[in-house]
Amino acid sequence: MMSKSNPEQHSNPAGRPTEPSRRSRRLLQSLLVAAMLFAFQVSANAQEAPQYFRQNCMSCHTIGGGRLTGPDLKDVSQRKDRVWLARFMLDPKGMIASGDPYAAQLQQEARGVVMPTVSGMSKERADALLDLIEAESKLEKSQFIGLQIPDGPFSEADIALGRDIFLGRARLKNGGPSCVGCHTAIGLPGLGGGRLGPDLSKVFERLESRKTLGSWLLAPPTTTMQPVWRGHPLEAEEILPLVAYFEDVSRRGGEDTSPARLNFFLIGLAGTVAALVGFDLAWRKRFRAVRRPMVRAAALKRGQLR
Amino acid sequence: MDVRSQISMVFHLDKCIGCHTCSIACKNIWTDRTGADYMWWNNVETKPGTGYPTAWEDQKKYNGGWEVNGDKLELKSTGKRRTITNIFHHPHQPSMDDYYEPWTYDYQNLFNAPEGPDQPTAKPISMVTGEYIDIEAGPNWDDDLGGSPVYAENDPNLEGLTAEQREQLNAVERLVFFYFPRICNHCLNPGCVAACPSGALYKRGEDGIVLVDQNRCRAWRSCIAACPYKKVFYNWNTGKSEKCILCFPRLETGQAPACFHSCVGRIRYLGVLLYDAEQIESVAKRPNEELIDAHRDMILDPFDPAVIDAAMRNGIHESVIDSAQKSPVYKYVKTWKIALPPHIEFRTLPMLFYVPPMSPVMASREGSTVDHVSENLFHDIDDSRVPIQFLANLFGAGHEAKVRYALRKQKAVRWYRRSVTVGDVPMEVAMRMLAEADCTVEEAESIYKLTSLCTFDDRFVIPPAHREEAIQMLEDPMEHKQSVGFGFLSKPRRGM
Repeated sequence: MMSKSNPEQHSNPAGRPTEPSRRSRRLLQSLLVAAMLFAFQVSANAQEAPQYFRQNCMSCHTIGGGRLTGPDLKDVSQRKDRVWLARFMLDPKGMIASGDPYAAQLQQEARGVVMPTVSGMSKERADALLDLIEAESKLEKSQFIGLQIPDGPFSEADIALGRDIFLGRARLKNGGPSCVGCHTAIGLPGLGGGRLGPDLSKVFERLESRKTLGSWLLAPPTTTMQPVWRGHPLEAEEILPLVAYFEDVSRRGGEDTSPARLNFFLIGLAGTVAALVGFDLAWRKRFRAVRRPMVRAAALKRGQLR
Repeated sequence: MDVRSQISMVFHLDKCIGCHTCSIACKNIWTDRTGADYMWWNNVETKPGTGYPTAWEDQKKYNGGWEVNGDKLELKSTGKRRTITNIFHHPHQPSMDDYYEPWTYDYQNLFNAPEGPDQPTAKPISMVTGEYIDIEAGPNWDDDLGGSPVYAENDPNLEGLTAEQREQLNAVERLVFFYFPRICNHCLNPGCVAACPSGALYKRGEDGIVLVDQNRCRAWRSCIAACPYKKVFYNWNTGKSEKCILCFPRLETGQAPACFHSCVGRIRYLGVLLYDAEQIESVAKRPNEELIDAHRDMILDPFDPAVIDAAMRNGIHESVIDSAQKSPVYKYVKTWKIALPPHIEFRTLPMLFYVPPMSPVMASREGSTVDHVSENLFHDIDDSRVPIQFLANLFGAGHEAKVRYALRKQKAVRWYRRSVTVGDVPMEVAMRMLAEADCTVEEAESIYKLTSLCTFDDRFVIPPAHREEAIQMLEDPMEHKQSVGFGFLSKPRRGM
């Protein structure tokens, strides 16, 4: 009876492995796992780098394609040392705030646009990216040269095709959704486009050049668009008409005079009325009242209804 | 045999004078509260008339009561599927207008009105909105045939009457009405209890009183739609349903319910009936014409030793059985068969029975004189001003035989007593009438006594409540034995 609740009863030195041997084995195991994970990480970073660059950097940077929002990265490691570059990549905002003169100059060149902190950036990744940039800089023509759009005026056919792509009339090759689902622009027929994303009437003016806009479309970097477009990127021959269309819309300018908003309101109103009338018809035999209809019917019978 | 006891009632309509004292007694005790102000657990209706709420008997509109579908007994208003699909809006609720908008009067105006050419009046004010209103309806709006072209003519019991019969109900010297006081019937197969999604309504085991548990009621109001007699009411102030409780606090202390106690015409009788609960479902499924007999058959003879034995086994106290043997209700319903359930075709098996009213014969007219005396003694029943079909719709599920039997027996007793006390009717004629009405002299005497000379204790045979035993059905009085008193408050810990 007494021994039941006695904790010392449990100790039995003979039947258990000794503490030190157990601990060292654990340590060895975890070290092995960590080493494997690290090796995998490094190789993964190296493999991923082109993919990562395409998705996260290309909307603002080229390698040998000239300046977009951000500078051309060709031979960047000759302009500044790798340590500084890696630090900047990890925390652009912090570097500018710290009063670094070169960082401030970069911001000025980008007309005040601060490079965003890129999600998933790490020290290893930054190294891998710099390796990639160095390797690509040596090539005659880098795969990251960016979209090269001619400077001459676009043809009417390009603009029309761009408009079709925007409206979803022309199917996108990689299966991406049409722009009009989330965006609108001046001069759309019917109810206009979606209102989830921003109005794209002035997008060309905002991004200032064909190249910037084109690169942006190559890999849309915003949090809403990135996951949608990652698996279904736009092709270069699709971007060109789109840029043509946006430029055209932007150049025409003007106020939004489409009746879309009014139409939307009117259709909503008519739909509500139709639904209410429908409900009333469907349940017209429902129980409403007994006495008043009875009194009214009796009065009607005697022709006394006023 | 599953014997249970039920406190049952008989209302003798031939004695009702329509004074509404019962309604007032009930109102003053139970429903004189905000939210309950429109409720009349007891009300008195004029027949023909539509009653309260308006045309409550018309189940085509209100969908109350049960119906037989195939071999299943189903509520008209709801079912499992419809409870869920209509859970936030029960579609068969009477509107406030079908009851009436409760009102009071602006009495201050009588004192404070500015001087003017007219007497000031107390204008009616709605007790719901607080605004001045034009009163459109009240709980006894059609009292004494008020507004009869609208109300009396729309009485659902007029169904099946010929145009001629309907016409004469309005004719001078032929016009007739009687009173129909109503309380909850405390049915054996209550629709309200079956319909409640919360299980808040229950039929009390020891005396069959149907009650709403105010703590469990969740205001679904299914009971209101399901009760074909519209005797459950929704209190819009507390958000709970309420109904007649048969003054159980009074019954438990040996007093008659307030409406019974206060009845001026002494029309009300109360006593215990023993019935066989096993038969409830099968009886409720019987075709209309068999319902009254089947209902009567499930009421058991309290003198039968087998019944007494089964009752004792079911835990019914000896004193309750004793009370059942003296029950005036048993005599009216079972022995004399002159009390009938109202609208038994609703299949809730009501346990309030009515003795159908006699009415004057239709006058015959010769030239300019109107003669009320008829030579034909018995067959006057068919010449009664209230058409038999009307009473049959009310008390016979549309079939005349039971109503005619009850009226003939009453009439025979009258003529017999007239022969005894006045002597202007030959005794042979009276005896012949009794024989034809399936009545003996002893029976006629006892009907006469219980109808006309009844004392308080004859009318109300209230069984001892035995709450101390009733509570044992729900709780074990030994539950706390050995857990209170002297000794250890907590168990001693071992092995310390």
